[in-house]
Amino acid sequence: MDTAELSQHISRRFNEDLERVRSQVLNMGGFVEQQLAKAVSALVEGDSTLGETVARDDFEVNRMEVSIDEECSRILATRAPAASDLRLIVAILKAITDLERMGDECEKIGYIASRLATQERPVNKYREIKHLGRVVQNMVHDSLDAFARMDAEAALRVARQDRLVDEEYEAIQRQSITFMMEDPRNIRRALDVMWVVRAIERIGDHAKNICEYVIFMVHGKDIRHVRLEDVEAELAQRGTKN
Amino acid sequence: MLRNPFEDWGFALWRVLLVAGIGALVGLFVGHLWWGIAGALAIELARQLANLNDFLDWLRHRNQRDPPDAGGRWGDAVSLVSRLHRRKQFHKQRILRLFRELRRSTASMPDGVVALNADREILWFNRKAAELLGLRRKTDFGINLASLLRVPEFARYLEKGEFSSSLRIKPRIGEPTCLEFQGAPYGEGQLFLLVRDVTRQAQLETMRKDFVANASHELRSPLTVIAGYLETLSLGEELPEDLRGPIQEMRRQSERMTAIVSDLLELSRLEASDEQVVGQPIDVAALLAVLRKDLVARDAGKHEVSVSIEAPDGLMGDTGLIHSAFWNLADNAAKYTPAGGKITLRWWVDELGGHFAVTDTGPGISPEHLPRLTERFYRVDPGRARDTGGSGLGLAIVRHVLQRHGAELKIESEEGRGSAFACHFPRTRLVREPIAMTGDSGYSPTNDK
Repeated sequence: MDTAELSQHISRRFNEDLERVRSQVLNMGGFVEQQLAKAVSALVEGDSTLGETVARDDFEVNRMEVSIDEECSRILATRAPAASDLRLIVAILKAITDLERMGDECEKIGYIASRLATQERPVNKYREIKHLGRVVQNMVHDSLDAFARMDAEAALRVARQDRLVDEEYEAIQRQSITFMMEDPRNIRRALDVMWVVRAIERIGDHAKNICEYVIFMVHGKDIRHVRLEDVEAELAQRGTKN
Repeated sequence: MLRNPFEDWGFALWRVLLVAGIGALVGLFVGHLWWGIAGALAIELARQLANLNDFLDWLRHRNQRDPPDAGGRWGDAVSLVSRLHRRKQFHKQRILRLFRELRRSTASMPDGVVALNADREILWFNRKAAELLGLRRKTDFGINLASLLRVPEFARYLEKGEFSSSLRIKPRIGEPTCLEFQGAPYGEGQLFLLVRDVTRQAQLETMRKDFVANASHELRSPLTVIAGYLETLSLGEELPEDLRGPIQEMRRQSERMTAIVSDLLELSRLEASDEQVVGQPIDVAALLAVLRKDLVARDAGKHEVSVSIEAPDGLMGDTGLIHSAFWNLADNAAKYTPAGGKITLRWWVDELGGHFAVTDTGPGISPEHLPRLTERFYRVDPGRARDTGGSGLGLAIVRHVLQRHGAELKIESEEGRGSAFACHFPRTRLVREPIAMTGDSGYSPTNDK
């Protein structure tokens, strides 16, 4: 469904409601993006105040989720949307759950960052976390862009990046194990770092979920638990048919 | 167009009658009068229908085909339509040319421009805006701009609907790119948004701030050493009499330099953030009492210092910062007021908010200096600065502290009569209940220099 189609609605008010709730979701997404960037930078820079700020501000994400949730219920109850509108509402309801979880992961990173800030920083200054954080930040950004533009192709591209994140996660895990074996005094910090890496990796998964909802919204096709290659092939086939 | 006089309505009628007449003649000749007339009219009708068909055909493909060569009324219609068509084409070309010109000129603009409708959806943008904001020409029309540029401050800026000031944000956190937005409303709620890349300026500013902070930090350690030795020297018994004066002066100057350096450091700390301070409730009455005591102790009772508390309200703010700002104002008054003068510290509340003022009976400041007074190292009288021993940064610090509390500094002065430095805090900063003082919830009077 594209914006032109959206604007053809008979009821202007309904259309406005949908647009408003959609921009609210992206607003929330923007806030989560900022939280993620702040959380990663709090850890990498060793800024305990920033870490605490991130952990404290998570209530804002929860508040946004509740308010969008209510708005969606209201639209479902009063307007009884059908077809693409219904898909939009369903996708939004799912996307905000994922965004809220991302917020929780950011909160966790913030906490750990403020705790780790008091300790000595490792020699590589958390370079691998910075790198992984950058990849996931881009994923979140691009998935929300795809959501805003209803761009299924971009969504598919982002979803494919998730594999990269998983590989990176594996690599950092192996590295941490080496650290722990080298010197048992590193164990505590390495475990904390693993928590952070895990949280970032989970955020990547949530970003992938959002991409799946975008594809669901555009094509009305559920691609969860399907291999991405199959999805690609099918979408390409549809493209030639149209 | 030349009009054929025969090709008018009357002629057409006559023509039909003529055809009917010929038909009648032929009919009479073969013995079927009515069949003859009917046949002739049918042929005429077929001819007209064929002409109509040609005409419609041409109308449908009038851009590719030459007009049909039909006579009579059909020729009139064809020439009329083709004239209208030509005129329309001409206007269309002109508007298209104008539009292209406009688009090309906006594309060459050094700043990005985005036009938004009342719902803040993208109506149009130029090439630079696409480049700066990552917008795409094919897909992004009609999308809410705040949905693509999802920085919370930006959404707030658009929502506020008040565009007297510009907004500076970093669209991607962790990247140095810094953009400045300036909205200009037009029409019925539409908005013109100017976007500029100010990355370079922002970097220069950060560099400058970092430089000041680092330089003052680096200067502090050697100064401490110098001041330490000077102190030991000046206390030493074996110091020759003729060196005593110079050493004392050196000590005074090194103290002054330390004061300047620590003020610079404080200023750069204040500048590091624009965020509003939340702080905690401050008991203003107790703060002013402490200030008065310090002031009297410092200048050995040279001035008459009075405190006037006219409201029980407290103030929400950072205790250390507010103390530093109020102390700077009170200290300034003491420095510039001759001995025997009066200094009043006053706190009052009205419908506009809370106000703190320091009034003195000093020499006053002439009006041309007032606007520049809070600049760093600005001196009303450069000659006098040395004996007062100020750092020249006091009022700059005051201004920054007040900015971060949403407050304003107003200076009123009359030459020969004295000056009044007033801080105006918004109502939101007031605490209704008088604060119960607990332990050390106040300011430490020792942190003055």
